[in-house]
Amino acid sequence: MSVLVWVGVALLGGVGACARFLLDSTIASRSPLDFPLGTYVVNISGAFVLGLLVGVSLEGDAYLLAGTGTIGAYTTFSTWMLETHRLGEETERWSMAANVGLSLAAGIGAAALGRAIGGAL
Amino acid sequence: MNGRRALNQDALKLTTYFGERDRLDGELVADRLLDLYGEAEIETSVLLRGVEGFGLKHHLHTDRLLSLSEDLPLVSIAVDTRERIEAVLEDAVRLKQKGLMTLERARLLSGEILEVSLPEELHEATKLTIYLGRQERVYRMPAFMAVCDLLYRRGIAGATAFLGVDGTVRGERERARFFGRNRDVPMMVIAVGEGARISRVLPELGGLLHRALLTLERVRVCKRDGEVIERPHALPSTDEHGLEVWQKLMVYTSEAAKHEGHPVHTALIRRLREAGVVGATSLRGIWGFHGDHAPHGDKASTLGRHVPVTTIIVDTPARIAEAFEVVDELTAERGLVTSEMVPAMAAISERERRGGLDLSRHRF
Repeated sequence: MSVLVWVGVALLGGVGACARFLLDSTIASRSPLDFPLGTYVVNISGAFVLGLLVGVSLEGDAYLLAGTGTIGAYTTFSTWMLETHRLGEETERWSMAANVGLSLAAGIGAAALGRAIGGAL
Repeated sequence: MNGRRALNQDALKLTTYFGERDRLDGELVADRLLDLYGEAEIETSVLLRGVEGFGLKHHLHTDRLLSLSEDLPLVSIAVDTRERIEAVLEDAVRLKQKGLMTLERARLLSGEILEVSLPEELHEATKLTIYLGRQERVYRMPAFMAVCDLLYRRGIAGATAFLGVDGTVRGERERARFFGRNRDVPMMVIAVGEGARISRVLPELGGLLHRALLTLERVRVCKRDGEVIERPHALPSTDEHGLEVWQKLMVYTSEAAKHEGHPVHTALIRRLREAGVVGATSLRGIWGFHGDHAPHGDKASTLGRHVPVTTIIVDTPARIAEAFEVVDELTAERGLVTSEMVPAMAAISERERRGGLDLSRHRF
């Protein structure tokens, strides 16, 4: 793998992380819910796009740059877990269960949908 | 008695509310402010990290969501004689640039503490703030626990221990480091109770602590365990010289105290922000009590947190009267609510500037 691809992963990873931060904080500061909606939207949309990339059979360097680099940095498992834990600390049991359950169900659904749409293109 | 000087004097308390990431000339405002207090050898100052809050611009900062927790509220408190606080005031305002600042009157006691005959205005109810070192111990027990225990046994209405991250102790800078014991980094215990009970407990505190440093302020207990005792004083908007009068509510609850399934303090911040209050900040304590349950902190065995949380709300007397309705509704089952007069407040943002730091005087 060339140095250029590594640099590309680093740059696009930065873009993904910035996009996540902007989207997450925009949603979070406007959402009246106790539910961490920002992280949820980021993760589900990321799963959809990654499914789409696989669906259109993106390969090699392009897949590495878009999938691992961009979407990898965009989505966040650790924030999902941390915010779920915080809900637990506040004994918000329903929000906690919903944050795990909905994210899993919608995430797998979004990945499958992305893949189906990508495959049909 | 090495260096013990007994102090019992009128003092001023300068409190600033700002953001963790506020900068001036590339340096953090929090650092500059505490440098200022350190250089001026302010008798006692402490920097506290809040967990949730908003200011004049009504941007919500909270540690509940990662993306909203990158600029959490900070509160710095500095107490010394009037001359010494006034000497740093101008520099503090210049450093601060935005956020809220308040000036309040307090009585500062340190060194040998004997029974204090409280000035008449402190008789109704008194807020006692005790400044301690993080690792300070009393009979092998952490000092903050020993203090809370004593206050609980003496029937004080409530006490909460807060961890500071920076500050000055008897004029010397003590800053928390990532590695290290942080023995003398200041922390504080805020207690509220009847004036007579507080006055009786003072000599005991003086005996318990190696070098006691504390302040007394006049407050009114508005609610205790969900019951309204007295509404906040109905204060005029200006004093007889036309200087603005401000008012403060402090709501003591716990992480475990719920209103309709949500922690009382988060519901409070949300509702007060919607109501357009000028600013509110929640601070999480590490130990404490209010009402008739024994002092406690978190339990290692449960995920849910139980530590005390205090929410501070400052605004004009008229807005505080409105805010009290919200507070009253959300603390229907539990919580301790106090009100105080704030003789001076300045609220500053890029667009707006309200109030000032000339002390108003209103007797009630």
